[in-house]
Amino acid sequence: MTATNTASTQATPQAPVQGARRPFWRNPWRHPWFLEGFTWLYLIWSLVPIVIAVLFSFNNGRSQSSWQGFSWRWYFTDHTNSVLHNPQLHAAVIQTFRLSVLVTIIAVPLGVAFALGINRWRGPIPMTFNFVMILSYVVPELIFGVSMFILFTTLFSTVHLGTLAEVLGLVTWNVSWPAIVVQARLVTMGRQYEEAAADLGANQFQVMRRVMVPLLAPAIFASAVLVFSGVIDDFVIVDLLSSSAGNTPMSVIIYSTQHGGNGGPALNALGSIMLAMSLIIVILGYVGYRLLTRGERGSGLAALTAISGES
Amino acid sequence: MAAGIELTGLTKRFGHGVTSHAAVDNIDLSVSGGEFFSLLGPSGCGKTTTLRLIAGFEEPTAGRILLDGADVSHVPPHKRNVNTVFQSYALFPFLSVFDNVAFGLKHTGVTKAEQRQRVGDALALVSMDSFASRRPSQLSGGQQQRVALARALVLNPAVLLLDEPLGALDAKLRRSLKVELKALQERVGITFIYVTHDQEEALTMSDRIAVMNAGRIAQIGTPQEVYESPADAYVADFLGAANLLQVVVAERARGAASTLKLGEVALLTSNEVPAEPGAAGQAVIRPERVRVEEHGSAGQNRVPALIDRVVYLGAATQVHLRLATGESVQAVVPNEDAAGLSQGTPVHAYLPADALRVLAGDAEPAPADAEAAVAS
Repeated sequence: MTATNTASTQATPQAPVQGARRPFWRNPWRHPWFLEGFTWLYLIWSLVPIVIAVLFSFNNGRSQSSWQGFSWRWYFTDHTNSVLHNPQLHAAVIQTFRLSVLVTIIAVPLGVAFALGINRWRGPIPMTFNFVMILSYVVPELIFGVSMFILFTTLFSTVHLGTLAEVLGLVTWNVSWPAIVVQARLVTMGRQYEEAAADLGANQFQVMRRVMVPLLAPAIFASAVLVFSGVIDDFVIVDLLSSSAGNTPMSVIIYSTQHGGNGGPALNALGSIMLAMSLIIVILGYVGYRLLTRGERGSGLAALTAISGES
Repeated sequence: MAAGIELTGLTKRFGHGVTSHAAVDNIDLSVSGGEFFSLLGPSGCGKTTTLRLIAGFEEPTAGRILLDGADVSHVPPHKRNVNTVFQSYALFPFLSVFDNVAFGLKHTGVTKAEQRQRVGDALALVSMDSFASRRPSQLSGGQQQRVALARALVLNPAVLLLDEPLGALDAKLRRSLKVELKALQERVGITFIYVTHDQEEALTMSDRIAVMNAGRIAQIGTPQEVYESPADAYVADFLGAANLLQVVVAERARGAASTLKLGEVALLTSNEVPAEPGAAGQAVIRPERVRVEEHGSAGQNRVPALIDRVVYLGAATQVHLRLATGESVQAVVPNEDAAGLSQGTPVHAYLPADALRVLAGDAEPAPADAEAAVAS
C-alpha cells in the first residue's frame, strides 16, 4: 500500500510544481540572501569609517570632514605640523615601534619558556600558572594598568614611569600570548617527536635545538606577531605608564589630542601609520606562518585563526 | 651484533598511593639475539609500557633490564643501543626523508660521506631510495612506515622495538608488509621486539610470542605452542576463536587417551590432562578442527548436534552448532563441505581426540602455567 503510494507520487508530473509553489522562506535550499546581505552590511558599517579616516589624512586642508584635495602635507610636506616634522608625533611613531620590538624580543622567549615549563611539569602548581595565564585575558586591562601604575610609583619607585615601566607592563600583559599559543602546539604535538629524537641518540639540548624549535617555530612566530600587533594597539597600559612626550606612543597621542579637540588631519595620518603597521605585521604573519607550516594539513585555517586572534 | 635482552622482575607502577596501578607487573623475560619476539595482548595489557621501558621512555619502578648482559634500567634513551619504530611513525615533518633517516647518524660522529652511504643503504633496504628528497607528508602511510623502519635500522641497533607498526595501515598492505618485515628481520639479523594486539601478525612473523594479560605474561612460546597448547582459557580465547567446553575428567591416563565427560557424552583426548579424575575443567577445541559429519555417523567423539546458523566467510564457511548436551560450538569447514548444510539440519559434530585439550584450571598460579607451556 505504502509502496504504491510513493511510486505514484514520484510518477505524477505535479510533484515538482508542488515544490515550486512552496513560499521561498519555506525552501530549505534557497540561497542565504538574508545572511549574505547582513554580512555585507556589517562589512560596510565597520570599514567605511576607517576608510574615511584614512582618506582625510590625505586632505589638503585642516578639516577632518570636508575634502579639499589630495596632498601628502600631513605626512611629510608640512614643515611644522606633519608627522615627520612635528616632534611630538614623530617621537610617538618611534616610541610605538621601539616598544613593539622590545616587548616582542622579551615576551616571546619568556612565554615559550613558560609554555614548556607548564607542559612538562605535572601537578597543581603548573595548573595554577596556567590559570594565571588565562586570567590575563579576563582581568580588565584598566585594572592591570592601574595596579602597574601604583606598583611603579609607590613600591618600585626606582623604576620611573617611562619606557622601562612601559616595557615591563606590556611584557607582563602580553607574555600569555606565546605561553598559550605555544602550549596549544605542544599539546597537539604530543611527546612522540621528542621521544623519537631521544631514541635516535639526541640528548635533551639536541632534542630542543633539532626538533622542538623547528616544530614550535610556527607557534613562536604566530605569537610574536600577536605580541607585536598587540603592543601597537595598546592604549591603557602605555597611557598610564608613560611620563613625557618622549615616551608616549601613537595611541596615546591620538587619543589625547583628538579628545582635547585639537585634532587635525595630522592625527588621521598618525592613525593611518598605526593601521598600516598593524596590517603589514598581520600580512607578514600570515605569509610567514603559511611558509613555516607548509606540508602540514589545514594550516591555512590554523594560520588565519592564529594570526587574526588579535587584529 | 644481535644482542639478547633480559627482563627480570620488571615492574612499572603509575600514579601514587591507592590510585596507583601496575601497568607492568613483575615480568621475567629472556629474548635471545636475532630472535623475532612478539608481545601480544589486548590494549591495556602492558605490552606497550614494556616496550617503552626497554626503549627508556619510562623508568622502571622495580626490576632490571639487561641489554646484551649490561644493566640499562636507568640509562637514558639516547644512550641505549635500541631503536624504536613508533605506531604513529613520528617522522619529523620539517625534514626530508633523507634527513629523517640521517637524523640519528649526526650524533654518531660518522663522516658526511659515510652518512650518505648508510642512509642510501637503509633506504634501499626498504625500497624507498627514490623518495629521499620527499617530505613525510608527501608519502602514503605504508611509505612512511618504511622510512620509519629505515631511520631506526640505519643506526644498527642491538634491538629494534616495533610498537604496532602496521596498526595504521589497511588490511591488504598489512598482509604484504608482514611478509616483508619478517624477511627483513632475517636479512639484517637484528633482535626484533614486536608489540601487537593482532594475533595473526604475531603468529605469522614471530619466533616466539609472549601473550600478556593485565601487566603479566600469560604464556610464552612458539606460535605453534601458544596456538595449539594454550596455557589457559585467556590465551586460548585471545589467539583466534576457540570453543570452550565445560567437562569433567572421568579417567586420566599418562601417555594414552584420557576420558572426559561432556554431560552424558564421553569424549577421548590424546593430550595430557592437567587435572585429577573427578575434577571439572575447561576443554578447548579450535573451530577449524571441529568436523561436521552426516547425522548418524558412528564412532568415538561424535556428538549429535543441530545447525543454528551457517555463515559464509569467503574462504570457508562457519557453522554454528548446538550440541545435544546444550553447548554451542563453532566449526569452520571448507565451502564444498558446507553445500548441504542449512539451519535446523541435524548432524554429528566430530571433535577429534588430538584436537581436544583440557586447560589447566584457575587454581594454579599463572606463572607456573607459562613455564609449563614453555617447557612442553
